[in-house]
Amino acid sequence: MSDPPETSFSNYGVYDVNDLLELSLPNTEIKIQRIAENAFSYYRKNSEGKIIEKMIPSKSNDLKIEIAPIRPLNYPARRTGYIFLKFDKEIYLSENSAASIFVHCPIEIGLFLIHDSNRESLDWFTCNPLNSRFGLYGSPDTGTLCKYAEVSLATDFNDSIPYVEGVLKIVIENNLKTGQTVSKVIFPITDNSLYYEDSKSIIDGIKVTLKKRAVVSIADVKTDPLDTDWIKSPTWEDTTASTGMEMGLE
Amino acid sequence: MPLEFLQGLSEMQIVGTLTVLSLLVGAIIMASGLIIAKIVKILFYKYYAPTLPKDTAQNLSKIIYFGIIILSFLAFTSSQGIDLSGLLVAGGIFAVVIGFATQSVVSNLISGVFLMVEKPAKHGDTIQLPDMNISGTLLDIGTFSSRLRKFDGTIIRIPNEKFFTSNIRSLTVSTVRRAEAMVGISYKDDIENAISVITKEIELTMPFVLRVPEPEFRVEELGDSSVNIQVLVWHPKDDWSQAQPILLTTIKRALDKSGIEIPFPQRVIWDAKD
Repeated sequence: MSDPPETSFSNYGVYDVNDLLELSLPNTEIKIQRIAENAFSYYRKNSEGKIIEKMIPSKSNDLKIEIAPIRPLNYPARRTGYIFLKFDKEIYLSENSAASIFVHCPIEIGLFLIHDSNRESLDWFTCNPLNSRFGLYGSPDTGTLCKYAEVSLATDFNDSIPYVEGVLKIVIENNLKTGQTVSKVIFPITDNSLYYEDSKSIIDGIKVTLKKRAVVSIADVKTDPLDTDWIKSPTWEDTTASTGMEMGLE
Repeated sequence: MPLEFLQGLSEMQIVGTLTVLSLLVGAIIMASGLIIAKIVKILFYKYYAPTLPKDTAQNLSKIIYFGIIILSFLAFTSSQGIDLSGLLVAGGIFAVVIGFATQSVVSNLISGVFLMVEKPAKHGDTIQLPDMNISGTLLDIGTFSSRLRKFDGTIIRIPNEKFFTSNIRSLTVSTVRRAEAMVGISYKDDIENAISVITKEIELTMPFVLRVPEPEFRVEELGDSSVNIQVLVWHPKDDWSQAQPILLTTIKRALDKSGIEIPFPQRVIWDAKD
């Protein structure tokens, strides 16, 4: 199935559903339709031909929904809170230097029902299921299971791919006395919020510090929250677990 | 005031010379020992374990941890004025008598204690006992027996002694597991091409197969009728049903799509006149 032109995609944001709302997303069709005075039907068809249908009883006469980017942790199943980003090009940092880069980071889409100021999760999906896979960081017995994606460099925050990839800013600081090549980064993305504007999305950045601890060289990965005017996405997943990440250096 | 309170505690005798105060001091010694052991273990894992081989690190960590606990225990007993030699002799005789009288019961009980201490598997783990040909989910480890729910839904009770002395294969402790399949292709087909089409089909249709480590292919045998290739893929530990049972189907579909032959057993017979 070929992608429709980018311009025909719907934007993120809040939608009022009166009688019928049709949303067009890459490889995905969504239709919300009134079927009774206080009831709506929800229909979604993805690129694999799979159809999801739900009934939505509503207290009021109208229905309000929000479509927003969410963390890429749910397809094909929720198994981890970590993400493994493999850069398509390695980044070399000489001793005591720093670099700031933008990368495309996969996202998923969440649909939320709005009641007063509360947002309830209605559905989630990915517009790019073929790039939504798992990877392992470490050994099979003690390693960390992650969502895996091969990512390319982005030019800036406006370079996101609508509904498929957001932009993540990574600041890498090499405090070691030797040059280092960074080819991947692994971190708990549950600490990172997502923001959207029209059909673009961005993700809270991360700061990677290459440093020495005792006799071991490590990469310390910490979340670097964004200060932005873009709209913050509602949270889909439970974010009670909040941790940093320490990677070994090769 | 606090001094008077402590003096009061020191005068409250429990048994012989054992007072509430000495017991309190002993408890503080043990608690401090446990806390110090934990902290030292955490610091060891954080700073030094990464530089050591894994087994060495684990053994060294256990020696440090239990060493500190044993030292605390010795400090505790000496603070209470307890002479352990008599206790050890009495305990030894008691164990021998009970052991002879109720051998299997005690054996199950002791095995249960060891199972709880060693924790080869915990509640909810999927395990396999190859010696007994049993697989299932561990429901609990009781005083004398353990219960397993087999995959057919039935529950099996295993005496702790048998459970403890069996080989236990844990299917859920590791983060990921590996699924395997063997397929034969004809001698006229290109091995590299077959591997390429199988890889593509797996990447396309098996979302639970890990990209890292990537699927592995081994030419296992140049068989009588086919070149046998072993396919190994990794998947999250809970998603065995999304990998192993469909792996062969996926491989066959990939080979069918590309016209690669999976040959039947065949034998070439030469006529002597020819």
